[in-house]
Amino acid sequence: MLEPVMFTGGLYKHDLVVELVEDLGGYILQKNVTQSEIILLILVPSEDKAALEDLSKELRGELVRAPLAGTEVAVVTPTLAIHHLPHTACDIAEYLRRHGSKTNMMGLARGVGREIAQINEYETALINEHDAAVFIFGNFQECIKKKEGLYRNITVPVVVTGGPQIEASELPYAFEYVPAIGRVAHRARKATEIGTLDRIVESIGRALDKTRTTIAKDPLTTSPPRVMDAVREQVPDVMFSYSPLPIALNLNGVRVKLPFEAYKDAVSSVSFDEGVKLGEIATIRPSRMKDYILVRILPASETGFVF
Amino acid sequence: MDPMEVFKIEVTGQEEYGAKKYRELIMDILQDLGLIRSIGRLYVYIDILKPFFAVYGLLRSGIPPLTAKDVGDVMRVSGGYQIKINDEEHMADLLRALWEHYGRERVEQPARDMLIIASDTSPSEIVVADLEAEFLQDLTDALVRVAPEGFRNRRNEMTKDSFLFVAAEESLTPEILSEIKKKIREMENA
Repeated sequence: MLEPVMFTGGLYKHDLVVELVEDLGGYILQKNVTQSEIILLILVPSEDKAALEDLSKELRGELVRAPLAGTEVAVVTPTLAIHHLPHTACDIAEYLRRHGSKTNMMGLARGVGREIAQINEYETALINEHDAAVFIFGNFQECIKKKEGLYRNITVPVVVTGGPQIEASELPYAFEYVPAIGRVAHRARKATEIGTLDRIVESIGRALDKTRTTIAKDPLTTSPPRVMDAVREQVPDVMFSYSPLPIALNLNGVRVKLPFEAYKDAVSSVSFDEGVKLGEIATIRPSRMKDYILVRILPASETGFVF
Repeated sequence: MDPMEVFKIEVTGQEEYGAKKYRELIMDILQDLGLIRSIGRLYVYIDILKPFFAVYGLLRSGIPPLTAKDVGDVMRVSGGYQIKINDEEHMADLLRALWEHYGRERVEQPARDMLIIASDTSPSEIVVADLEAEFLQDLTDALVRVAPEGFRNRRNEMTKDSFLFVAAEESLTPEILSEIKKKIREMENA
């Protein structure tokens, strides 16, 4: 069982952490360098976590559990106007990032209003490429109930946030509803506001666990971090991608941030030690996000084996 | 404590939470834009089922326009007048006003906070900025920010001492406007 953790520490000697993780059979998911600091998102075998803890203590770094690591969450607001940003949406997105998730912020083109709110097919498909979504709504319960239409067709779990208390039974299409964070014009800094952000993270955690349980019933042929590692090794051009995270992990695959037409064959022919090619155990199709490549690993029931 | 004399907010239906939060939101936005001291009374009426959003406010006494003597000290010197700037915020406006009035060649700036005007007429009374117009602009901006975002049909009636801002999703009909005005009169008299 791999455990998601986040290492924060000095840049000096951080390669010791990277080496140790690789020796233990773990994966480095993301590396963020900010001047002399570094933040590493790591998957490490849970039985060897103590070794990593010892090393990070020695390097005066900090190692915390990052329950959302290796997942991608969409934070969706009705638009990208000043009414929704920056406070609520950025606070939620930043808080999710601190718990290890890769967060994408999205503003709908016509998500505003009560009667006139809409979502289109492209936006729905783009949100469906994530592992979970957070929809941020306002302070009026009538509007929150009415705007259910925006996420009715979304297949990934949707956590809805808003101001007033609403019974879960009144929002049947939402995975969970987190109250007390409607439209606000200031940053979250009070203990109660931070508590609400914690509740959103917990709710997203439960949503992801539900997806993990579903996947466990029919396990994937191989794990997404392993695909990520293999693509990174065998398609070195991905490291020249300008994106901060050239390979984004999902629960059921990866998104490779390279142009689809030019690199689909290279990604498809990535091979594993077991003798199979990525194209045989996964679907490789264009992502709705820019011109990227979306890799979705097939379950064991379709390929007939797991490695 | 509210810096305003009266601040009432009414929302139809079971929306106490929304009313409470909109109160905080309006305060935050007015405070951010530094407008709160200029508004005496504020009445907000929201009907979320129709839906529309209305704000009626009474302004505190008008702000006089800013003149050159408010921005700096005007002194008579040989060959003209000298202005020693105290408030640099309005420097650009002051220069523009002086250029317009005297012409560029007669306005000299030997130091950052010093202006010399080659003229016999005093620049003291030249209007540098119309603060009231700026205030009304900021107020409109604040109201647009406060109103729920989808409410794109807006009407803004501004007079010297009051304003009425209405925003709705559907077209604003005379019936809705008269209903809002009636409701706000009731709130005022309550």
